[in-house]
Amino acid sequence: MRYVWLGCLLFGGLLFGGTQDSEFNVNTRYTVENVVVSGDGWTADVGAGGGNDERISSGLRKDIAALIGEKLNPTVLDEMAKRLRKEFHARTVEQRVLRGKSPDYVLVVFDVKLRPTRFDVSVPKFLYNGKQGWSGAVEGTATLRQNGFTLGLVSDGDELVERYAGIVARYDNTRLGTDRAHFRFAFESYHEQWNGSTTAQVQATQAGPVTGQEMPGPLNTGFTETSGIYRTRRNFEPEVTFVLAKPLTLSVGTSFQRFQDQFPAAQTESANALITTLRYHRRLEDSDNQQDLDAGYNLRAATRLLGTDFVYARHRWEFRYMLTHGKSVVIDDLTSGMITGRAPLFERFVLGNSSTLRGWNKYELDPIGGNRMVHNTVEYRYGVFQIFYDSGAIWDDGEAAVLRHSAGVGLRQGNFSLAVAFPIREGHIDPIFMVGMNY
Amino acid sequence: MACLAIPLSEARADEPLEVTFDGDNIHVAAPGLHFLTGKPLERLKNAATVAFVSQITLFSDEGKTIFRRPVAERLIVSYSLWEEKFSVTIRGADSTRTTPRLLTAQQAESWCIENLAISSLGLAPERPFWLRFELRAADQKDLGSLLSDTGISLGTLIEIVARRRGADLPSWRRDAGPLRLKDLPRMFSVRGRIG
Repeated sequence: MRYVWLGCLLFGGLLFGGTQDSEFNVNTRYTVENVVVSGDGWTADVGAGGGNDERISSGLRKDIAALIGEKLNPTVLDEMAKRLRKEFHARTVEQRVLRGKSPDYVLVVFDVKLRPTRFDVSVPKFLYNGKQGWSGAVEGTATLRQNGFTLGLVSDGDELVERYAGIVARYDNTRLGTDRAHFRFAFESYHEQWNGSTTAQVQATQAGPVTGQEMPGPLNTGFTETSGIYRTRRNFEPEVTFVLAKPLTLSVGTSFQRFQDQFPAAQTESANALITTLRYHRRLEDSDNQQDLDAGYNLRAATRLLGTDFVYARHRWEFRYMLTHGKSVVIDDLTSGMITGRAPLFERFVLGNSSTLRGWNKYELDPIGGNRMVHNTVEYRYGVFQIFYDSGAIWDDGEAAVLRHSAGVGLRQGNFSLAVAFPIREGHIDPIFMVGMNY
Repeated sequence: MACLAIPLSEARADEPLEVTFDGDNIHVAAPGLHFLTGKPLERLKNAATVAFVSQITLFSDEGKTIFRRPVAERLIVSYSLWEEKFSVTIRGADSTRTTPRLLTAQQAESWCIENLAISSLGLAPERPFWLRFELRAADQKDLGSLLSDTGISLGTLIEIVARRRGADLPSWRRDAGPLRLKDLPRMFSVRGRIG
């Protein structure tokens, strides 16, 4: 419980860490004459047409240009500096305000300082879920020009049916001859921990078809369509991403997964797959609204050509729409997936974690995951407050899909989120508390 | 008024603190204290708002037993780029006061300190007490910068935490005492009874 309070305190500090002192700034009586953004060897004079500089995103350029002719607002300047810092991954963005050419006018200068050091440690995921416990990852990245070298530790009991804990190592090249091609090579090595209900269900299905009701989930299809329990898992994954057109990217790669079975001990199996991901992102803006559209398709096809023990094709479709109007944000996120063939447990779909069917326990829904999945989230945010409604179904081919629903409320600031979610069902309702970031 | 002020003992000071009494509240003056200098002044001349936190504490002995808990007040200073003068707003627990016009640096410093006071309620005229005046630039930890697309940056967190308190935040302290209310020079009240 104390960790929950610690999370709340940290979250509260982030929410309310700002100050309102700037409302007393005497310079708010002056008008912004021009805004200049400068970086490492470049300068964009927004007032003189430099607002079309492609280095700055169109939305931010527009907001910076809108400062011109308005009264100076230090709070807004701070916000712009933060957005520039985020966009350029800069170490700092210094803002200077100078006298303008005319009396009572001022010139605003944002000076973007890139990171001189090329090493940073980050926490890409951090989560406490009332049912699944803690999950988290920590990574150190050294960057040399366009090359990034990452080494990290991870323990995740949220994403898959297994809890995987181990190391990740990654090499990224963000400019493979051209800005339109990126290369990534990832290595992962994990030790696995299994929930009792997953182990029991796998053992039950190993023993043959079961028709009893003492085990949750679909007991008559599991093991024949997936792997047994494994104790370790390793993955080598090279991948190249091409920017086909500005909003459209295509990634192509392979994944070589090797895992050591729990029973019989020391037997190693492999799942080697071709990976293809097509992504589309589009942002539409007008004077009042901002609309973000994301769509993606991912295929993992394990074929005998790659010497795999499991042959399958895993398809996943994603569609996300976000409408921002002032402090209000409406999001709809639709995901679906289908596996054909026999895929190992780590490839199977899971619902009932911290991002899907929040409030449900994934082990109650399906302890070994499913090979069919559809899920939709509708979320409304106003400032830091959020409410969401999840609905989805997970099942195996040949079974009837059962649609389930959940709802929740929470607070969100940036990547940090704190939420309580409830499964919508008859009988006893046990809410699940979640706090963390990037989940 | 300055000629009536009595020189006081001091624990760490360049100039002695002047303490006066308006019948309800105890006031301080520190003519030699200049806080609109250095990095805060640099930020002010860049049109930023700089906040200072001040507090006056009364002790019933030499800095050991607190007689009256201090109430922190926030001094919010800004500098007009075109008029080259300062504006100050004091945000206390009970009120917000702003300079009636723009002031020079010295005038702004004096106005700030003159407008700080602590209630003498419950303090007998004969009872000796000690007084501590503290002023520091307010910390401006940028918690928002911790967050990035890839999660929380420990590098930035370490950078923020590693900033030693006082390393880049100037602070000042003046001690005075022993004092007695009946010995203090009287002044006209510039603010109502506190507390």
